[in-house]
Amino acid sequence: MDTPVIDFHSHAGSWGRYGVDADCDLYLKVMDAAGVDRTCINCIWFGDARRGNDLVMEYVNRAPDRFIGVAFATPHYPEESVKELERAVHGLGMAYVKIYPDYFGRPNDDPAYFPIYEWVDEQEMAVMCHATYPFDPPGTTIQGRFTALSDRFPNVRWVMAHTAGTLDADAAETARVLPNVFMETCSSRTALGATEFNVEHAGEDKVLYGSDMALMDARQQIAKVVTADIPRRAKEKILGLNAMRLLRLDGPAKGGAA
Amino acid sequence: MMTPAVDLDFRPEVPAFDANAALGRRHDRRVAVDDAAGLLAEMDRAGVERALVYAPHAAAFDSAEGNAGLLEAIGDESRLMPQFVCNPTFDDLDETAAQIEAADVRAVRMVPTLHHYPFRSWVVGEWLEWLSARGIPLWLPASYETNWHDGADLDPHAVHETVRQFPDLTVVLCEVHYVQASWAPPLLRSLPNLSIEVSRYVIADGIARLIEDVDPGRVMFGSRFPEQAIAPQLYHLHRLGLNETDLRAVCGGNLARLLRM
Repeated sequence: MDTPVIDFHSHAGSWGRYGVDADCDLYLKVMDAAGVDRTCINCIWFGDARRGNDLVMEYVNRAPDRFIGVAFATPHYPEESVKELERAVHGLGMAYVKIYPDYFGRPNDDPAYFPIYEWVDEQEMAVMCHATYPFDPPGTTIQGRFTALSDRFPNVRWVMAHTAGTLDADAAETARVLPNVFMETCSSRTALGATEFNVEHAGEDKVLYGSDMALMDARQQIAKVVTADIPRRAKEKILGLNAMRLLRLDGPAKGGAA
Repeated sequence: MMTPAVDLDFRPEVPAFDANAALGRRHDRRVAVDDAAGLLAEMDRAGVERALVYAPHAAAFDSAEGNAGLLEAIGDESRLMPQFVCNPTFDDLDETAAQIEAADVRAVRMVPTLHHYPFRSWVVGEWLEWLSARGIPLWLPASYETNWHDGADLDPHAVHETVRQFPDLTVVLCEVHYVQASWAPPLLRSLPNLSIEVSRYVIADGIARLIEDVDPGRVMFGSRFPEQAIAPQLYHLHRLGLNETDLRAVCGGNLARLLRM
C-alpha cells in the first residue's frame, strides 16, 4: 500500500482494569506491525482534562511523526472546558476534540455540550463521540440526533465512534445523508460484513479506520478493513485518505508529519 | 516471518483450522450465514481449510436435537468437524457418549452460563471423567449471549477448582473478551491442561503476551463465525511476529493435535 494509514481512534494512558499500560514503546511496536503510519490519540481517563491532554502530549512529543494529539473536553467542569480546548488545540496543536458522554450521564446532544460545540464550530474542527447511549430517551434516533446537531453547528464534523464496526442502518443512513457526519470502525466484535455494509450504505468516503488502542489491538482492528470484501480504493480511503481529508492533513503520501 | 506492513491481498501463510464456528440457524436472530455452503464459501474467501463447528440450537435449547441437526447440516463435508454441545444437568451421559462415538465426534462444548449450573465436579465430574478417559477435549465459552439471556461470565474459580481435578483432560477456554482478560491469563498459568481460543481476545498485544506467557501450544485461532468474520483474527495472528512453527501451531496445528487429526 502506498497510501497513508491513519488510526483515527486511540487512547493514551493506563487502564489497569484491563491490563492496559501507558506504554509508548508498545504502542509504536503495534503500530509498526499493523502498518499504521499515524495514530490520533486522546486520553479520556482523567476528570482533569488538562492532565489527560498533557499525557497525550508525552506520546506526541516522543514520536511527533507518528502521533496526532486529540483534545479531551468534559462538561463536568464547564468553567474549564473551552479554556482547556484553547490550550490543547491552539497551544499544543491537537487536531480534533474527543468527548465521552457516557461519563457524564447525558447524551451528546445535551445542551451541556453546546459551549464546547460552539467553540469547535468556530474552529471548523471534528468531534468524535459515541452515537448512542444507554441513557438515551425512548425514540431517539441517530439520524435525528445528528441532524439537529449538524443544523445547529454546521461547521463541526461529527465522527460517530464504533458505528462502522456494526451493521446499524440508522448510523449508516445518517452518515450517507449528512455531509459532515462520519463513521469509525473500531469494535470489540468483528461483526461479519460490517465494513461491507457501511461502505455500501454510507459510502466509502464516510468510513474511518480506528483501533481503540490500547484497549484493542490495531492489528486486529485494521484486519476488518484489510480483509473486507470491498474495492481496494475503498480500503485505501478508509485506512487513511478519508482521515487525511477530514483533518486537512496535507503531508507526504506516506509516513511523515503533515 | 517477513510480511508487508499492510497486505490488502492477505492469504494465510500456513494451514488454518478454525476452532470456533457455529453452523445452523439461531432462534433469536437471523444470522448472515446459517448453512454449510455459506460457511464453506466464507472459509474459502478467508483461506481457512477446516473448521470445528457446533450448533447454536444445541446450546440454546436442546443438545440432542441440535447435535443431530449439526450432523445433518455437515453431511459428508470433510472440512467441517462436528463439536457436540452437552448439558450435563439433563443429558444422559451413556446416550450422549454413544452418539459421540457413533459420529466420531472429537470435541465437546459445555455452556454452564447458559444452562445455569455451577461448573463443579458434583455436576460435571462424571462427564469430565469420561471425556478425559476418551481423550476428548472440552470447550468452555467465557460467556454466551443471546438476545433473551444475559451473557453472564463463566465462574473462573469453579473452572480452576474443577479442571485441576482432571489433569489429563484438555479444556479450551473460548470466546474470552477483554473484560475477562483479568482472570484468563492467571487461570491459564495455573492450569497446564487449559488452552485458549482467541476469537474475541482483542486487547492490545494480548495474544502475543498470552503466547509468551503460556506457550504457543495452548493458543488457538478461532473466528466466532458467523457472529464475526473469519479472516480478521487470522490476519492479526500473522502480524504478531511469530516464527513459522508457532504460527502453524496457533493457526491450526494445535487444534488438529487436540482432535487427533
